[in-house]
Amino acid sequence: MRRYETIFIVRPNIAEDEIDAVINKTSSIIEGDGGIIIRIDKWGLKKLAYLIKKESQGYYVYLDYAGVPASVSEIERIFRIDDKVLKYLTIKLADSCDPEAIKEELASAEAAQTLAEDEVKEEASPAEAAKTTTEDEAKEDESPSETSGISAEDEAKEEEESPSEEKQAD
Amino acid sequence: MPPKKRIFPRQKVCRFCADKSLVIDYKEVRTLRNFVTERGKIIPSRIYGNCAKHQRKLTDAIKKARQIALMPYTGPTYL
Repeated sequence: MRRYETIFIVRPNIAEDEIDAVINKTSSIIEGDGGIIIRIDKWGLKKLAYLIKKESQGYYVYLDYAGVPASVSEIERIFRIDDKVLKYLTIKLADSCDPEAIKEELASAEAAQTLAEDEVKEEASPAEAAKTTTEDEAKEDESPSETSGISAEDEAKEEEESPSEEKQAD
Repeated sequence: MPPKKRIFPRQKVCRFCADKSLVIDYKEVRTLRNFVTERGKIIPSRIYGNCAKHQRKLTDAIKKARQIALMPYTGPTYL
């Protein structure tokens, strides 16, 4: 198993569900060869740095997966045939990777995500309770906002300092 | 004839060695933009003082970004 990432650009005037169809097709090829899809990212419409097939914009899709070399060549063959795909780029990230470790990682990431979602829900309920606070409490809330303003200034100062360091590096 | 002014070049430090958090990735165009000219040419390492290792990775990343149209081969194209 090797770790790959593929970016491909779809024509901008293509409907969303047709893009999904292209993604599903490629992911089914990967999974058909026993690979694992780690991440699918739609970057969306972006301006191209140069014209490709007379298009100035393109819909970027990013795929991160573990698979075998045969599936990569198959995907690229289909991209070349497919008129919707303007351009593609596949990069090999690692020569060997452990599929089971990736599965575990994915599972833990999912668990963390569900946990985070639960926390968000819990946070939401106290926020609703805070809406019913009295006026006195509302006044108290003003002071923390001031401190937060100061911290924002500190951050701004830090940002000012960092470019000067870069100039020294020049 | 006035004596020639000797220019002492400031010690340049590789930006990527100094700041470990700065990663070279062909997908992060924002960092790569700093190392090309307005016309899109890669700026030589003698200007910014990048170390050979990082300059090599940088050129690789820029060339990959060019392939997938994240960066221009020649200048920004105005339409």
